[in-house]
Amino acid sequence: MEEMIRIERLEKRFGNNPPVLRGIDLAFQQGEAACIIGPSGSGKSTLLRCINLLERPSAGRVLYRGQDVALLPPQVLHARVGMVFQQFNLFENMSALNNCVAGQRKALGRSRHDSEQKALYYLEQVGMLPYRDARPRQLSGGQKQRVAIARALCMDPDVLLFDEPTSALDPEMVDEVLRVMADLRQRGLTMLIVTHEMAFARDAADRVIFMDEGLVVEDGPPGQLFTAPQNARTAAFLARSLRG
Amino acid sequence: MPTTFFGWVAFLIARYGDLFLRGAGVTMLIAGVGTVAGFAIELGVAIVRTARLSAGAGPLRRGALAAAKAMLSVYIEVFRGTPMIVQAMVVYYGALEYLGLDIPAMAAAFLVVSVNTGAYMAEIVRGGILSVDAGQKEAATAVGMTHWQAMTAVILPQAVRNIMPSVGNEFVVNIKDSSVLNVISVTELYFMSKSAAGTYWKYFEVFFITSVVYFVLTFTVTRLLRLVERRLSGGDSYTVYGSQSHTPAEIKVPLAP
Ligand SMILES: Nc1ncnc2c1ncn2[C@@H]1O[C@H](COP(=O)(O)OP(=O)(O)OP(=O)(O)O)[C@@H](O)[C@H]1O
Ligand SMILES: [Mg+2]
Repeated sequence: MEEMIRIERLEKRFGNNPPVLRGIDLAFQQGEAACIIGPSGSGKSTLLRCINLLERPSAGRVLYRGQDVALLPPQVLHARVGMVFQQFNLFENMSALNNCVAGQRKALGRSRHDSEQKALYYLEQVGMLPYRDARPRQLSGGQKQRVAIARALCMDPDVLLFDEPTSALDPEMVDEVLRVMADLRQRGLTMLIVTHEMAFARDAADRVIFMDEGLVVEDGPPGQLFTAPQNARTAAFLARSLRG
Repeated sequence: MPTTFFGWVAFLIARYGDLFLRGAGVTMLIAGVGTVAGFAIELGVAIVRTARLSAGAGPLRRGALAAAKAMLSVYIEVFRGTPMIVQAMVVYYGALEYLGLDIPAMAAAFLVVSVNTGAYMAEIVRGGILSVDAGQKEAATAVGMTHWQAMTAVILPQAVRNIMPSVGNEFVVNIKDSSVLNVISVTELYFMSKSAAGTYWKYFEVFFITSVVYFVLTFTVTRLLRLVERRLSGGDSYTVYGSQSHTPAEIKVPLAP
């Protein structure tokens, strides 16, 4: 099993504020599906954003397959390590199909034909093929997020970062997106998922990481973390979120 | 010689009609070219001003970008802070007396109006870019697009659509304000009118006609632009495909605005 992502002593602070990440060490193997949970403001999004360099780490480094991401050409890094956002962030001026095509054309230099074939394939995988000509504003939240996942997959990533992919969705749309994500797990994609969906973390993840105040507090298989948390803060957080 | 106001108006139109028409043509040409070129300038400026270098960029590129941004700010401040009539004089006579360049008045006119419009549109374009949710820029970065690619493929097309009304407005302003170019003898509508008025000393009658022509120009342009805007806001329905065989199903989904 290859190690896909390694995070070493990662720190991040914004300006002169207290640090948001205070020394994170983590490694992720190929095919692993890891859920990252923790209270609001604990630095989960910042951690993901430091991995694909949407934020610049203040200290420490991130390795993708043993290579420092800061030294990789941005196009290569972003094709290999994709991201799905809470607010979908679809390109509003493009159809669902072109949302999936644009990155392939621009960053990978693929032909229009090849890009479209791939886009149609992944739109079908996420059940959005019938809507390929729709504009984002014509789609529901769940549909948008499925297009966003297809857009990320079109780049042939081997790591996908999800930042609360279902938090902006109405409850009845959460499942359609989670189902797509559970599917992806079967394909050997490495997934890092920040989520508040505890049931999903428990049932669909290989590993759950609990973060608090910029540190990894607990890290283990869901069975252990949910039933017998080792740390009092984990236990308190779980008690709160499982009740709510 | 005519004796009434309307008699004079009819006389002057018959006598100088083609002068007014040619003047109106030149005015429209200057305003059109100036608006389009100024808009293009400002889009380029906006791309530079919103650029952020990646983590790995060296000091040379950082310095170059900072210098370019500083120069663009100076450009915008200077051209917004001085009247166009003065800019026209400075450009035209500056080129003539200090650079030995006898540039045609028309060329000076295109230059001044374009550069002036570019400076005025800086804030408009900036507003248009800010109106596009920043998340889309991040998403473009996250699929590997460069700043240039993200701007040209994703951000600016939306920004431009949002600021189309302001661009049209700038066009109308240029139709009117290009009249100041008469000081460097550009044969636009105001200059032509002044020549016509001088012959018979009929300033009121001539400029009455002139104002009607200006109004017809701006009014027509305003209406036309409104049509274009409606076009740009895109189709109002999309087709849901019923099967994988690319057959459009009959379902046309209307767009809620
Ligand atoms: N660009 C920024 N500038 C300044 N502070 C920031 C910035 N981004 C995040 N922060 C701060 O960093 C802290 C951690 O934010 P982060 O978004 O990583 O938390 P999170 O765990 O994802 O929270 P949530 O569950 O609410 O999404 C917060 O206190 C936030 O205010
Ligand atoms: Mg977050």
